[in-house]
Amino acid sequence: MAGRDRFDILIAGGMLVCVLTLGVLLAGGQERDPSTAALDKALEQQIAYQARIDFLHNLYQPVEDLRLAGQVSAALLKLDELARHYPQEAHGQILQAEILLERGVTRESIDHYVRALRLNGDYVDKASPLSRRSEIEQLVEAQLPVFAARVRKNPQDPALQKSLTGLYYLQSRLAGGCE
Amino acid sequence: MKSGSRLFTLLAVLFLLLLQTGCQPEGTRPKMRIGYMNCNNEAETLKRFHPLTVYLSQKLGVDFELVPVDTQDFAERFAAGEFEFTHTNSLVYLIMREESQVQLLATEKRGRYGSHTSGSIIARKGSGIKTLADLKGKRMLFGPQLAPSGFLAQYDTLLQGGIDPETDIAYYAIPSGSFKHEKVVYGVYFGQYDVGAAPSLDLELMTGDGKIDADDFNIIAESPIIPYCTFGARKGLAPALVENFRKALVELTEKEVVTYAGEELKVLASAWVDGFETLEDSDYDQLRAMAKRANMPPYQEF
Repeated sequence: MAGRDRFDILIAGGMLVCVLTLGVLLAGGQERDPSTAALDKALEQQIAYQARIDFLHNLYQPVEDLRLAGQVSAALLKLDELARHYPQEAHGQILQAEILLERGVTRESIDHYVRALRLNGDYVDKASPLSRRSEIEQLVEAQLPVFAARVRKNPQDPALQKSLTGLYYLQSRLAGGCE
Repeated sequence: MKSGSRLFTLLAVLFLLLLQTGCQPEGTRPKMRIGYMNCNNEAETLKRFHPLTVYLSQKLGVDFELVPVDTQDFAERFAAGEFEFTHTNSLVYLIMREESQVQLLATEKRGRYGSHTSGSIIARKGSGIKTLADLKGKRMLFGPQLAPSGFLAQYDTLLQGGIDPETDIAYYAIPSGSFKHEKVVYGVYFGQYDVGAAPSLDLELMTGDGKIDADDFNIIAESPIIPYCTFGARKGLAPALVENFRKALVELTEKEVVTYAGEELKVLASAWVDGFETLEDSDYDQLRAMAKRANMPPYQEF
């Protein structure tokens, strides 16, 4: 076997430096502050949530524009059209509930609020940009005594029972869980 | 005849009588009739309401006969005693309430307004017709005269908006035959007429089915909401029977099925109904006010 020359020593030294640097880098990555990782995750979630809010605003903007222009019927038809593409979207249910309530169609409005909250609880979250908490509180406060009295008068009517159950559900969502 | 055999004969006769009254199989139960207002045609009425009639017969222990009735003849045939229970639009209910004191039983639920509905005035998008004032001198297509959300609601909306349909509109017409409401929508869509009086429910269903798009029309106006189709009962029927009929309707759920013509059919789906609701007669006051303003039956004066 021939003796090692200076070139061999240089190559071996270079390789050793590479391995050591790699080891240091790997060790540094593993020791990363966990709070930084959590922050990144929170940021990711926040960005995703904001993107979702922006998407909803863009999607339902034509409905809002029609409502602002007083074109309530056209707004409802637009919601029907959007519901065909996004049948499980709670925001459409919320807008439907609001318009129906404005038109005096209380029972169906309650149904839509219930469906929306079953899909997405953000609508009773005070901190959410989607929040409709105060509107839902007003609805429950105004209609609960009315429907309770009507059910007492017609205890066998399942449609009335459904509306009252819906109001109780909204009330319980407003109250929050037992934490 | 000996007294013993007389007693035996008497007991046998009594036993047979008891046997006959003790159970009432189908066909021997009391018979009653339900008049159903034709929406489009008799064949459709029979198909839609047979399962519901079978369900009511089973629930109430009465053999109900389904009687399809033309809208224009309904109040007259009811007054003549041709049927005990009625299923009509809300305006025909008002007429029978006024003329024959029909009792309100339950109101049908269908579409976004549930037990209520409304009428819309539509123009083709891009026509330039955007407000009620733009309707002056235009050609308009209405639904049938006794349709609360296809004629009365829009007629009243025009009057309320300062437009007299008899003098301010160049010409108005009503399509003939079946499916008049869809004909109104398509009449406007294809440009045959400038403006149409469409039930909001039909616009909702047609948009849901993809037959039209929400952006196809300008909705010039929509009327206040009024009750939808209504079940009624003849005055003087046994209160328990009437109450049981109402209860059977409001308790109906989408899962309820009956066997009819060898098929198991969902009662509500067959009838194109979402359910039934108990309303008060005062819930029909909005419609009464419309009929009075539009000088229509049952308040028409000459």
